Amino acid sequence: MGVVKAHSRVRSSGPGTGVLPLLPFFIFTSFFLLWPIVAVTLRSLHGNENEWTLANYRPILKSGPYFHAFVVSIKLSLVTSIIGSILGAFFAYVIVKYARGKFEAVIDSVSAVFANSGGVPLAFMFVAAFGVEGIVTTTLKSLGWDIYADHFTIFSFTGVVMVYSFFQIPLMVLVFKPAIAGLRREWEEASTSLGASSLTYWRRVGIPILFPSFIGAFFLLFAGGFSAYATARALTVGTVPLVPIIIGTLVDGNVISDQANLGDALAVGMIVVATIAMAGYIWAQRKTAKWRSS
Amino acid sequence: MKKLALKWPLIIIASSFAFLTFVVPLYGAALYSFRGEGGKGHSWVNYQWLIHADGFYLNLFTSLKLAVLAGVLNLLLMVPTMVYLNLKGQKFKSLIDFLCILPLIIPVVSLAIGAQVAMPEILQNSEYELVFFFVIIALPYTYRALDTSLQTVALKTLVEASRSLGATWTRTIIRVIVPAIRGGITGALFLTFALSIGEYTITSLLHWETFPTWTVVAAQQNILGAIAISVFSFVGAIALLSIIALFSKKGARQVEVDE
Amino acid sequence: MSKKDRVSSTLELRGISRHFGPVKALDGLDLTIEPGELVALLGPSGCGKTTALRIVAGLEVATSGELLVNGQRYNDTPANARDMGMVFQSYSLFPNLSVADNIEYGLRARKIDSVTRNKRVAQMLELVALENKAKSFPHQLSGGQQQRVALARALAIEPRVLLLDEPLSALDAQVRGQIREEIRRIQLELGITTLFVTHDQEEAMTIADRVGVMSHGKLEQIDKPITLYNSPATPFVASFVGLANRIPAEITGQGKAKVLNQKIKIFESSEIFSAGERVNVIIRPESLELVSEGDDEAVRGIVALKSFLGPMTKVGIAVEGMPLVHLNIASRDVRKLEIGDKIAFKIASDEVMAEHV
Repeated sequence: MGVVKAHSRVRSSGPGTGVLPLLPFFIFTSFFLLWPIVAVTLRSLHGNENEWTLANYRPILKSGPYFHAFVVSIKLSLVTSIIGSILGAFFAYVIVKYARGKFEAVIDSVSAVFANSGGVPLAFMFVAAFGVEGIVTTTLKSLGWDIYADHFTIFSFTGVVMVYSFFQIPLMVLVFKPAIAGLRREWEEASTSLGASSLTYWRRVGIPILFPSFIGAFFLLFAGGFSAYATARALTVGTVPLVPIIIGTLVDGNVISDQANLGDALAVGMIVVATIAMAGYIWAQRKTAKWRSS
Repeated sequence: MKKLALKWPLIIIASSFAFLTFVVPLYGAALYSFRGEGGKGHSWVNYQWLIHADGFYLNLFTSLKLAVLAGVLNLLLMVPTMVYLNLKGQKFKSLIDFLCILPLIIPVVSLAIGAQVAMPEILQNSEYELVFFFVIIALPYTYRALDTSLQTVALKTLVEASRSLGATWTRTIIRVIVPAIRGGITGALFLTFALSIGEYTITSLLHWETFPTWTVVAAQQNILGAIAISVFSFVGAIALLSIIALFSKKGARQVEVDE
Repeated sequence: MSKKDRVSSTLELRGISRHFGPVKALDGLDLTIEPGELVALLGPSGCGKTTALRIVAGLEVATSGELLVNGQRYNDTPANARDMGMVFQSYSLFPNLSVADNIEYGLRARKIDSVTRNKRVAQMLELVALENKAKSFPHQLSGGQQQRVALARALAIEPRVLLLDEPLSALDAQVRGQIREEIRRIQLELGITTLFVTHDQEEAMTIADRVGVMSHGKLEQIDKPITLYNSPATPFVASFVGLANRIPAEITGQGKAKVLNQKIKIFESSEIFSAGERVNVIIRPESLELVSEGDDEAVRGIVALKSFLGPMTKVGIAVEGMPLVHLNIASRDVRKLEIGDKIAFKIASDEVMAEHV
């Protein structure tokens, strides 16, 4: 009898029923996350005299410095995500194949740290190493290789790519390693015992299985590279036209535009690009989930 | 077998690549930061400058203060939410999952602009508005850390056991659930803290001054000093996140043992 | 593809060893599997049975010894050139390929033309009774169905030898028996030489022509199932195959021992015992019989356990100075027996196996 009683006490409402306990969360995210997004979108659709207009978007869609900035930003994201995904996949493969166990745990932590690095310290670190008077630059110079001879600077597009790779590659390792680890040993062994070569295995089984994860990770890297602000800011103000930076300069008032709310339009444009990339990521995640159930 | 022939060349290539990409810049920067006066010799001079620079302590303190507040607010908000979500609020799971992924999708820059447009005067006049946004930025990681932790614990069983023994809800959460998900909580806390301390984008776009933004300004006066700061921050971040990594693994294992 | 069309192969392992530094996973394994025979390797985990199988498959390399198929040395043949069909414990189907594509995988690797391939795939699907699942994907199939596809895939290439690595261990108990019978039926129908590895003694005993019991990398005994059961060569085999009681006894002379109140003979085996030595004798439950308490040779105890198994009931008797003794008695004879009752039993067989303590 006592058991039945206790049971019914438990089954009665917990710390509130329905959605009530979740209200604080919903209110918080609505106010500090959703509302700002809505607000900036709304303001981007208003012109200088507060009228509804699409004028803020025209400089982005027409050819000009703003359109160009989007092109460069996308190009930067593409290049860094391609480099990051290919090299990261390579490292992930080597780690899964040859470095499982304790050493792997160390690599996991280090990758997590490097993947989340970025921002100002990272930029300055690279300046210290590869700047005009950087340690690496001077060392290489003394060995006969002047990296600055060919118009390279750490503040150029190439320089930024180098710096971004520092966190893109580890991020790829972090995100893609589980997919490689998920390739069951039995598949390769079954393929071998059935008489197929290693190449055939990869072509017919390995790569098709890895592909969705790879593409998903690629999109993730792309979104990250596109949205990065702090690192780019520390390296490129003025030298490389990137959308996040331009938004920054508009906000700081260093650049005045005819369109008062151009910055908002740029911000919304960024949201659109990033969303497309993340949609790609989520789509790819769905595809891998299908096979995971087997 | 043929496989062995590939093994060592691959490992060597991977290691060299990794060395070049990651160790060289780090080491180079560290060396650079130890450069002496006038660029000669080695000394701690830059680090000394760092500590005595105008604004070092003030901004460090500001960042620490905001980071701690963000961490606490984050836990206060998310722990009850996640617990309830996993217990009774299952139908809201995908919605909340999506909301917590959103900060990863929305570029921080855009969020910052949005904040500038949307936030009321009172908030915009106080640096404490940053605390709320730090929490938002940390949401994806917090959600993941707490969710993973809660999944490994037999939440329903624990709660029913506690309740059937007569405990109230608050008691159950504080004395039963929180210890069980210690690992997830610690992880979430440290991550929020680390993210907040290093956050630059929103801080700078909303025109506040914290340690990271001060670094950039200081760099204009003394580039070597700024680099010293950066190396210091970097090493600090590595140490902090390493602790997270160690802790979160430990926490999870402890839960299994306790059960 | 019937027995008449193929030539069954002989599989021979001579002195196969595998060392990992000081650890010997396999220590001089000698085994010959006759054409068309199904031999099961039985033993606890770590005994080396899987290692042996993988060496035959070519997935691992022996540190010494010879592997021969039809007299030909196979040690240096790469795994993908051995023409052996292998079925793994689980998860070996390629998840991104349909059932039909999985089955024809080996055929495509051999560059066989599509007409022949399709015919063979259809044959295989019929063999394992999964014709309607040709276009399904592995994750849509049950565990038992997946293993049937794995079997079909291995057999599609018409291998010389069929290798099975604990193929039933990951399946539900219910399905296990069905699939086990199907494997045996197909194996007999095709007359294919087969090596089957398992840790489940019931599985091995029911399915195999001969069973090889392994322990610590060595083959303890290989014989027909009934021989293993009735004439175990070592204490390990005796206790691993079938249930066994271990009852303390004392050696009284060459081939003789005294078990509590009873004099009994000891099997000749490789073990050597000295007079007066304390040993354990290994006795099957069915070799013990209930007797009246008045019997001189009886061992007296108290009923501690009674498990109804259908026609037989397992009775556990607590006796001072030894672990619980299990007997299997016809259920109708023990209907009135209660836990706590006094009871007496004695050994009903002439010879028993002994082991050092």
